[in-house]
Amino acid sequence: MTIRAHGLTKRYGDKTVVQDLTFTVNPGTVTGFLGPNGAGKSTTMRMLLGLDTPTAGHATVGGRAYAAHTAPLREVGALLEARSIHPGRTAFHHLMALAHTHGVPRSRVDHVLALTGLTDVAGKRVKGFSLGMGQRLGIAAALIADPATVILDEPVNGLDPEGVLWVRNLLKSLAAEGRTVLVSSHLMSEMALTADHLVIIGRGRLLADTTVADLVRESGAAYVKVVTPEAVRLRELLSGDPGVEVTGESPDTLHIRGADAPQIGRTAATHGIPLFELTPRTASLEQAFMDLTHDSVEYQATAMTGAAA
Amino acid sequence: MTTAVPYRVTTPRVLRSEWHKFWTLRSTWITLAVASALVLAVGITMGSTYDGDDSEIDTVVFVLLGTQLSQLCVAVLGILVTAGEYSTGMIRASLTAVPRRVPVLWSKAGVFAAVAFALGFLTNVITFLVAQIWLSDGDKATSLTDPGVLGALAGNAAGITLMSLIALGLGALLRSVPAAIGAFVGAALILPEILGMLPYDAVDSAVNHFPTQSAASLGSATHLVGAVSPAMGLLSLTLWAAAVLTAAALLLRRRDV
Repeated sequence: MTIRAHGLTKRYGDKTVVQDLTFTVNPGTVTGFLGPNGAGKSTTMRMLLGLDTPTAGHATVGGRAYAAHTAPLREVGALLEARSIHPGRTAFHHLMALAHTHGVPRSRVDHVLALTGLTDVAGKRVKGFSLGMGQRLGIAAALIADPATVILDEPVNGLDPEGVLWVRNLLKSLAAEGRTVLVSSHLMSEMALTADHLVIIGRGRLLADTTVADLVRESGAAYVKVVTPEAVRLRELLSGDPGVEVTGESPDTLHIRGADAPQIGRTAATHGIPLFELTPRTASLEQAFMDLTHDSVEYQATAMTGAAA
Repeated sequence: MTTAVPYRVTTPRVLRSEWHKFWTLRSTWITLAVASALVLAVGITMGSTYDGDDSEIDTVVFVLLGTQLSQLCVAVLGILVTAGEYSTGMIRASLTAVPRRVPVLWSKAGVFAAVAFALGFLTNVITFLVAQIWLSDGDKATSLTDPGVLGALAGNAAGITLMSLIALGLGALLRSVPAAIGAFVGAALILPEILGMLPYDAVDSAVNHFPTQSAASLGSATHLVGAVSPAMGLLSLTLWAAAVLTAAALLLRRRDV
């Protein structure tokens, strides 16, 4: 089941929330749908599910519009950002009501309750649920008909660290089973741990359709930090290679791009240069994301300085 | 995901889902219980305190005076069935499961109408029989088998059900419980009273075809003075309910959720 968006556009009055968005989400991997708050992620997801009608363009799941499937919950399981649960119903009855529409048996309802750790509270009304339990119930509802595609809008919102880890592993295992997984977030750091592929939007426009590795590479944010008392010598040795770029922040610290840590370590060892520190810095994905979306953040904090990573 | 389970959305399944949703909320049980209790309590009061003063009032109308109170309860339940899903966000889950949308509305209306009519009719029969315990030795001694009595007891239940379907449709149109209650009370209960005060005969006879007036014609064993015939009342009321539900269905297909 491949998700395709073709020129999706959504306008409310003269405000354009999503602008000519085209992307593809493939099975077998976790695709992160990233963007700052207000970028249009939730609206795009609602258009994929046919809840909102696009002003222009269209979206398909497995080659058809979502509403054209005979068993839509079997094609796509979705967790929407806004709560979609009646608080007066128990968790079990909420799931059973959804299950009835597709002829899903009670055993499957019990299964997803167990899978999401809600068996003990299945008979409790949702009114008393914490944010995290509500999210788990939303995920249980998404999985009710064993869907080929899973779309989750900000699933880790409100979850405790254990819950976050649980969602991360769940997403990976769903993708490993060959399912299509599209998960939105405004947190790059979270996506870096879960997603293989990234669709990044800002102010409703596509900013990047890439992989995590490519994004880091293209952003030029990856480098190796080296601390050595013979910085000048090491710099000369490494600069001989045309692909290598060396900068330094202090006399004994070098930032090296274009050569990896083993390469630098070996070069240093061959020439008897002592190294005090040799640290690959690849965790600045957050910075790459900030650079990419900087111009499209809806509400920018003016007092904030840009360089965080 | 490779197993061949025949998961599919079908009309009976959507009905079953709506049936399940209907009975798994406390508000359903409470409103239905209160509605029935009101009819029975008022019926018992009317029967036990009857002293011959209201001898000109139709016996069925007399013992079922409580339905004027229960009507609002049942209408509110109808509104909760539709508008309640918008206020809680449940509608997004419902329409994601059934993205063709309109079957959800028909199923809600079907489940609600079946329950409202069955319970209303049962309550009316019981109330009538209980009230006769006190009335059976006076001028309001009437039996279920007397002409028009069963028809009026059923007609009253049908009137309340159809009125409440209008409320259910308003809930789907307005997507807000308070707005729909306001619209129902205003349009169905207050507006005809105001129009009825206008000094035009044409307006008067039009008002006779309004929902509340049509419903009243259904619930009397004898013909009410100035009202349309029960058959005409049933037709008018059905058309009103059909019009509101059709409008709700058309908008449901078009609007974003």
